[in-house]
Amino acid sequence: MDFSGYQIPKELLYTKEHEWARVEGAIIRVGITDYAAKSLNDVVYVTLPKPDERVEQLKAMGSVESIKAVSELYSPLSGTVTAVNSELLMHPELVNKSPYSEGWILELKPERLDTERKVLLDAKGYAAHLASINKDQPTSSQSP
Amino acid sequence: MPRVTQLYEYHVKHAKMTEFAGYDMPLWYTTTTDEHLAVRNSCGIFDVSHMGRFEVGGKGATEFLEGMVPTKVRTQPVGRAFYTLFLNGRGGIIDDLIVVKTTESTYTVVVNAANSGTDMKHLVDRAPGGVEIAEVTDSTIMVAVQGPGASESLQPICSADLSQLKRFRSVPTEILGKRSLVSRTGYTGEDGFEIIVYGPTVQNPKDGLEIWERLAGASTPCGLGARDSLRLEAGLPLHGSDIDATTNPFEADLAWVISEGKGEYFGRAAIDTARESGPETIRRGLVLGKGIPRHGFNILDESDSRTGTVTSGTFSPVLRKGIALCRVRREASEVGSPVKVVIRDTIEGGNLAKTPFYDEQTYGWKRAAQH
Repeated sequence: MDFSGYQIPKELLYTKEHEWARVEGAIIRVGITDYAAKSLNDVVYVTLPKPDERVEQLKAMGSVESIKAVSELYSPLSGTVTAVNSELLMHPELVNKSPYSEGWILELKPERLDTERKVLLDAKGYAAHLASINKDQPTSSQSP
Repeated sequence: MPRVTQLYEYHVKHAKMTEFAGYDMPLWYTTTTDEHLAVRNSCGIFDVSHMGRFEVGGKGATEFLEGMVPTKVRTQPVGRAFYTLFLNGRGGIIDDLIVVKTTESTYTVVVNAANSGTDMKHLVDRAPGGVEIAEVTDSTIMVAVQGPGASESLQPICSADLSQLKRFRSVPTEILGKRSLVSRTGYTGEDGFEIIVYGPTVQNPKDGLEIWERLAGASTPCGLGARDSLRLEAGLPLHGSDIDATTNPFEADLAWVISEGKGEYFGRAAIDTARESGPETIRRGLVLGKGIPRHGFNILDESDSRTGTVTSGTFSPVLRKGIALCRVRREASEVGSPVKVVIRDTIEGGNLAKTPFYDEQTYGWKRAAQH
């Protein structure tokens, strides 16, 4: 599925802040969406939480930066960080090249998956969210 | 509604747009990093038609400008393009600008888009009868052609022999047969040219678009994102961020624009006083080990006392590190000094650094001069 050229894989869950969560088994993989990566234009720096750090749903847990802008990273779910993608420290451009696979950000062990997942959007809901925030400017995103 | 330049039709088709100084301008065409590196390694072009362009002439134009800037004007040779400042009565920088001496008694003045109204009023309010000041921003385009490959990109459409044009020199010529002024200047640190082509308007932009598209075939169109990261890497200040009407040339580390032995000019008394007392803070470059410094971040010394503020920062595509221009207290301003920068809830270490930030044997216009 996509919205005006932005990929939105249908098996993922999304935040309105443009993070995705792959909910499969006990560990959840998290990243930022194609839309977020393209809006940033060129990711040059990421600040990640440390393994074993606790993160809370929709609270800032790090940042993704382009040459021009800083974008906060919000956790889609509450839990404990089990792994971070350390490749991104040397190759932050992976977030642009491959936001849903090689450019993943971190993995976490969720605490309240069953209740918290209801807050997240499915692919259809996220596509509708992109449509609503881009009503006035069909190809634009948040200001740089 | 924001204003547009004559080249808008091209930008809106190819670029992500952003509003800057009241204009709808290209922010990037591909990515800021790729555009930045194209300028360092080959050639990039920028639409800078939003910048203010004034022609100053008439009786007494030289004496008038001599009294308006701290740089000597009368003794500049015809064909010189020089960087200078407009100052207020307190010695603060109203704007930084390039003046091109086009004949013994006529000048083309290029100012920042955001300040062009203020600058025009500053000039008109003080111009004696006989001096003529005309704004030509809307009837000319201005394009910067920048990078080690700039001559190669521009020469095929330019009548003047660019190999004969030295840095900070300017020549009237034709580009694709249209009357133009070509100056070997720029805002990237690289070799390159800034061209003004007379004629194109927003209503009738055809000749301008034709020149832009010819250049785009031989170089990389670049947006304001790369323009900002390139000027920062070269250590060039941006008026409104790094310098402003409250900063004097000593604080701005631009005292070199003040000519020695010059007579009266607007702001002179304040400049003489400021020279005596010395600056409390001074503009410096800063390189961080980790993280990206941004406008407004605090700078601490080794004992965690606040010594200054970041005025603009970015990630340097050449150094692969965070760089910034900053304002630091004079006693803590020695180049090389270790500093700390407060980035949200962490503190990262770095050093005050010389500018340009890049190695000048490898990048920048001085390397071109070696060949």
